[in-house]
Amino acid sequence: MKKIGLLVLVSLLFFVPFAYGQPIRIAYLQADIHQLPCWVALEKGFFEKEGIQVKVAGIFKAGPELMSGFSAGDLDMGYVGIAPSTTAVANKTARVVALAQVNTEGSAIVVRKEDRIQAISDLIGKTVAVPGHSTVQDFLLRKALHQFKTPQEQVKIMVLKPPEMIGALRTHQIDGFIAWEPFPAKAVTMGVGRVLTSSGQIWKGHPCCALVCDERFFEAKKDQAKALVRAHVKAIDFILLNREEAIQIAIKYTGMDEASVRLAMENVNYTPVLSVEGEKEYVDFLNKLKYIKVDDVDGFVNRFMRTEILKEIIKK
Amino acid sequence: MKKERYLLLILLILIWQGLCSFNLIPRYKLSSPVEIVLGLVELIKIGVPPGHLLHHHVLYSLYRVALGYGVAALLAIPLGLLMGWFPRLRRMISPIIEVVRPIPPLAWIPIAIVWFGIGIKSAAFIIFLGAFFPILLNTVAGVLSINPILIEAARTLQAKEKDIFYKVLLPGSVPNIFVGMRIGLGVGWMTLVAAEFTGVREGFGLGYMIMTARDIQRPDEILAGMLVIGLIGLLINAGLKVIESRALRWR
Amino acid sequence: MTLELLGLSKTFYGANESEAVHALDHIEYRIESGRFVGIIGPSGCGKTTLLRIIAGLEKASEGKVLLDGKEMLQGSETVGMVFQEYALFPWRTTLQNIEMGLEIRGVDKEKRRLTAMEYIKQFGLSGFENRYPRELSGGMKQRVAIARTLIMNPRVVLMDEPFGSLDSQTRNGMQEFLLKIWQERGDTIIFVTHNVDEAVFLSDEIVVLSRRPGRIIKRVEVNIPRPRDRTSEECNRIRRDILRVLEVEMKKEERER
Repeated sequence: MKKIGLLVLVSLLFFVPFAYGQPIRIAYLQADIHQLPCWVALEKGFFEKEGIQVKVAGIFKAGPELMSGFSAGDLDMGYVGIAPSTTAVANKTARVVALAQVNTEGSAIVVRKEDRIQAISDLIGKTVAVPGHSTVQDFLLRKALHQFKTPQEQVKIMVLKPPEMIGALRTHQIDGFIAWEPFPAKAVTMGVGRVLTSSGQIWKGHPCCALVCDERFFEAKKDQAKALVRAHVKAIDFILLNREEAIQIAIKYTGMDEASVRLAMENVNYTPVLSVEGEKEYVDFLNKLKYIKVDDVDGFVNRFMRTEILKEIIKK
Repeated sequence: MKKERYLLLILLILIWQGLCSFNLIPRYKLSSPVEIVLGLVELIKIGVPPGHLLHHHVLYSLYRVALGYGVAALLAIPLGLLMGWFPRLRRMISPIIEVVRPIPPLAWIPIAIVWFGIGIKSAAFIIFLGAFFPILLNTVAGVLSINPILIEAARTLQAKEKDIFYKVLLPGSVPNIFVGMRIGLGVGWMTLVAAEFTGVREGFGLGYMIMTARDIQRPDEILAGMLVIGLIGLLINAGLKVIESRALRWR
Repeated sequence: MTLELLGLSKTFYGANESEAVHALDHIEYRIESGRFVGIIGPSGCGKTTLLRIIAGLEKASEGKVLLDGKEMLQGSETVGMVFQEYALFPWRTTLQNIEMGLEIRGVDKEKRRLTAMEYIKQFGLSGFENRYPRELSGGMKQRVAIARTLIMNPRVVLMDEPFGSLDSQTRNGMQEFLLKIWQERGDTIIFVTHNVDEAVFLSDEIVVLSRRPGRIIKRVEVNIPRPRDRTSEECNRIRRDILRVLEVEMKKEERER
């Protein structure tokens, strides 16, 4: 009896570290204040508290790069925009599922402080920058133009990386831009621009960033994925209840000044609830503009957004 | 004879296609030849971003390269001839050239945007930097390679400095100038993608097209775009070679 | 027309004083119009340097070159030069090479074309006017070079071992060709060569230079009427004469080594 017990103990000692010894490889986007829940979870040790080890396997400058990490099999879970992850899955370059939302809203259209642009229709004949084709921001801009009956062909839309947008605005290379926080906030605190409209005003509750998980990892290690989502939900609660501390963490990870960070966070809605309807509208947009080709939109969204994990956690 | 040249290439393509068809190479890592061709068709008919067709991208890119390269040639050839002819000038300018030349054109992008703004001028500037130095240095080499006896022969025919410059230096340097021009064109064309990082106002350009294909996660179109860039580079070089062989009939 | 060389000396200086090379030492000579003068001497004796000074490609360290009593400024008088390596402009056709001098002078296109074509005919280059130098044989190239020089009607024609690169058959042919042209035109020719045979066959007078620094050590009048038989007794006598002088110079050279 004793011998068997010893054997079991020894084998457990082997398998326990093996099962939980390999840390979960996560990634996030640099200087994107939507990613705050990830940073909070890292700083406050929420992942360890849920019994999992995580390793930051990559900090990326842009969503598509992060998705390449998934393609290469280097990542298990990631904080990333709904835009690059949706297109990656639709174009079959990565196989991920979205387990929770990270934030909704949190972008804004910014124009120069002194310009006389008061309404969306004033953008006719002007040059507005978007962070990329097929991004949520690109969609938001077109939605806003459509809502305010401004013909898209009469607005010059060009692609710029958000860090370059403020400088371009100041030097009159562009007349406006739409980008995720904290760039709109920074434009304001630098005295270069003012917000024409926030993204929540264009489309209330629109999805922005999501917590995605490699599909195979999800199938094989559901428990760990669940634990990570739990840590994520905790982090979002923390942000809502401990705003000051959250701001300090945000300053540390974005490297931006306090004034900009504060202003930016006012525009972001951190929530773990997946916006399924929003995703459907977004997929329609991508389909119509031929960025992707998805015949069964509902089916696609249901396969991509796995709401069951969240439902379990929130029930508790 | 000619068949042998393409045999290896065709073999490689077949093996490549085979590896992809049997899923030995995952799709996102490397698209198959068939997928690339299909992607190419889509680039031509639908375009990336959708609505921006391939031939427009090609024309805009050619225009940018033509501008940057044209300015490079117009400046580098006369300067090279003068530097070749006047040792003093050469000694004065060489240190500046040697310091600036190793800086990769990519590193100039932030300055280019500040100086020229976003648009064709900054892109053309980056291409200019790539093309300028090969043309200049080869032109100087061309002048220095002229057999001094030809200059003496010209002098005995009563040639003045102006005559020597136009009737001996210039034609005598032409072979090297062509070498420089071909290299410069190659570098300029390659710098195109980096140049279009400076921000493309119009929404057209092969580099811009590839970056967009990357943003919307279409690796097949990235590769198709790269193929187009390579093919056009090949055609331009071949074209220049034809002109060169006509001009250098005397060789 | 008289060409006078008065006390011509030339020293080449290297990086420091001790590396000075004395090429020519007080050359005194006078050439009358229409004469064919051959200059011969051991290697490195400064024959080429002498020609270059007369052509204006080099400046004398001492002495003067006078043309009709007036000092010759560098490049101001037409002195033509034919080089051993032909020095044809490779990117110009035969025709364009020949008319190069006229082009520089500013003669209009039609006129220079016509003149050049005459020379092409006279020099046996018909059919090759649009060929490039790389398509021509050595003998033809030199004919083009000579035409290019003579079309300018220079006061003095300098030739620096022009047939040195040719095989002996072509060489003999070219010597005869040159004589024919000279006898038709009456140019004043100074002809530098290594080849005693050649000098004897062509020249009115042969000037022998010593080894470095070059001085005139012998002057031989060749009064034999042309066309000359290379194997004749008179030619042989003159040849032996000159060879003996050259031998002495070479022995001096060897003793010093």
